[in-house]
Amino acid sequence: MLIKSSKQVSRWRTPKRFPVSRNSGASPASRIEPGVSWPEPEGATRVQRFKVYRHDPESGKNPRIDTYAIDRDKCGPMLLDALIKIKNEIDPTLTFRRSCREGVCGSCAMNIDGTNWLACIRSLDEISEPSTVYPLNNMDVIKDLVGDQTHVLAQYQSITPWLRSKTPAPAGHERLQSPEERKRLDGDYECILCFCCTAGCPSHWWNGDRFLGPAILLQAHRWLVDSRDEATGERLDELEDPFKLYRCHTILNCTRTCPKGLNPGKKIAEIKLMIQQRRS
Amino acid sequence: MTTAKLRPRSPDVQIYKPQLTSVLSIVHRMTGVFLSLGSVLLVAWLVAVVDGGDTYAMVERWLRSWIGLLLLLGWTFALFYHLCNGIRHLAWDLDFGFELRSIYLSGWTVVAASMILTVLTWTLGLAVLE
Ligand code: SF4
Ligand code: SF4
Ligand code: FES
Repeated sequence: MLIKSSKQVSRWRTPKRFPVSRNSGASPASRIEPGVSWPEPEGATRVQRFKVYRHDPESGKNPRIDTYAIDRDKCGPMLLDALIKIKNEIDPTLTFRRSCREGVCGSCAMNIDGTNWLACIRSLDEISEPSTVYPLNNMDVIKDLVGDQTHVLAQYQSITPWLRSKTPAPAGHERLQSPEERKRLDGDYECILCFCCTAGCPSHWWNGDRFLGPAILLQAHRWLVDSRDEATGERLDELEDPFKLYRCHTILNCTRTCPKGLNPGKKIAEIKLMIQQRRS
Repeated sequence: MTTAKLRPRSPDVQIYKPQLTSVLSIVHRMTGVFLSLGSVLLVAWLVAVVDGGDTYAMVERWLRSWIGLLLLLGWTFALFYHLCNGIRHLAWDLDFGFELRSIYLSGWTVVAASMILTVLTWTLGLAVLE
């Protein structure tokens, strides 16, 4: 089917997964085991079930998939509402990040029905029955749906996400930009660093130790096009690397998934083009 | 920090939903590998042409067997797919066609075009052979 915006959920619910077993290639500690099914709500006409990835670091046991069921008629409209309801009423140990509950903080990013999105803006009308909820992909799991972001944040730091400028700041006012110069940051500054894109990027799965991934490269682009930044050349030098940048093979899972409707794939292509153009 | 070592890694390819974006990318790679295998066959066929006689007859017979034909069909599709999707990638490298709508439109076009070209080639080829 033709997808026009990353908001759109594919009407095709199958195939749900690639033809690989759920635990193929997983380290012994990462293998997922069957979990428990919690009791279903009584007298509910609209039951929604969730198969949720659980991991309790204190149990010493492997991750498992627990099944929860809620009554849609007694729940808010979004997936995050359902998770909060489960935590409040069924299982208080269920752990996830959330803050703004309106898609601006990036905390509640998770893998929902196989693709990454923010739980607070994913309507329960759009998920399957039963729905699957995993943490963002390819991250060390601290607990349940909470992944360790140390590595991706270190990658963020590596691109020096701050103004690099030799010219001293003008006295008495900010460094000014024309409206046109400011416009070049559109499509970059809206990024909330939720890491839906990086976690959904196959290149980052295979080479995440050295490939920066879409979220960080989009941020790198943000500083490259900033008229106030004076380190464009150095920044390009730092990025021109077979792994940091060129492991992007334009698969575009990133653009397909970005919950803010941004286009990391395009920004990466623009960085590659900038490097080409300064050569000629 | 012994606990950090024991942390499980969350699943990726095992659970990520196949989408046009990732599927076409994998197929692009697979057709690439398949095509390089095919080039070995092309060389073998050329050698057989030069050698002539029995060698050529043998290769010809093998190519006309059902497995030979099936492989040839596969190679035709792989060639057209890799070609069409290659053009798609070239456009991206020039910063064209990155809107999601264009990505999906060009993706499905590549799928349809490579199938149509394969069918056309075989219809033509078989007609010439008759
Ligand atoms: S580009 Fe989009 S998906 Fe990626 S981190 Fe930023 S907001 Fe999230
Ligand atoms: S376009 Fe590049 S960054 Fe985006 S998912 Fe594909 S490989 Fe990853
Ligand atoms: S809770 Fe802030 S983005 Fe979902």
